[in-house]
Amino acid sequence: MKSFQIRSKMVGGVAVLYLKGHLDAHQVGRFEKELIRVIRDNNFNILINGQELNYITSAGMGIIMGYIDEVREKGGDIKLCSLSDRVHETFDLVGFTEIYDFVPNEQAAIEKFNRIPPKA
Amino acid sequence: MSRPPLKNSTEFPPKPDFSITILSQTQLLKMVVELTRHIATLFQFSVSDAQKISLAIDEAVTNVIKHSYGNETDRQITIEFFLAAGGMRIRLRYRGLPPDISDEEVNISRMIKNKRKGGLGVKLMKTIMDSVTYKTIDGENCCEMIKWQKVK
Repeated sequence: MKSFQIRSKMVGGVAVLYLKGHLDAHQVGRFEKELIRVIRDNNFNILINGQELNYITSAGMGIIMGYIDEVREKGGDIKLCSLSDRVHETFDLVGFTEIYDFVPNEQAAIEKFNRIPPKA
Repeated sequence: MSRPPLKNSTEFPPKPDFSITILSQTQLLKMVVELTRHIATLFQFSVSDAQKISLAIDEAVTNVIKHSYGNETDRQITIEFFLAAGGMRIRLRYRGLPPDISDEEVNISRMIKNKRKGGLGVKLMKTIMDSVTYKTIDGENCCEMIKWQKVK
């Protein structure tokens, strides 16, 4: 079994990426490839659901950092939800929790996206 | 690791208590993380600290593979663990390009604007560990990290 798995689906107009397992520099290419695919399909409301993510390094966090400005310029956002305390703490160690939007669960995140009308 | 785990000293031994040499392959990172976490837990770091220390080592080894060895997969990295009652010193020895470490404070907002994907690893290492130093002697690079145990 692969130590990192990713899948995505549309939920309420939001592209949700489900990350599972151990996301390090060895696995990060698959995460970036899927995020690029979602953005190229003109989905700019993106939610990263990390409920089953148990480890992340700067390689994974760097991918979000590399694309969030492009997504925000197009009126969207990359939000994160359902992170374990451990993974949340890793984001906190680099100061991301003050810059990105962390939401407790997927439903709350979808509602939050849909409260903000996308820019024309 | 034949030496008793705890001594009444915060001095580290001159020779490593444990060392491992790996090839410069990212597929080995997870093994290094698990090994480091295991050693840190054995030497009485909390589970939380052991997880953070292993993350710092992951970042350090990743930087070596990516930047010093340019993702070449047949180079060597030696990871040495020095243990004392008060803490743990971990030293990476490797060749390749010397590290290019800036003392400049990482500015996340600027990195986002510049669409940068890298540059967070050293910040993580410095945030987690009590000391992170780099040096190069006779073509051998050395990254040394120390983590002290919290006084209870």
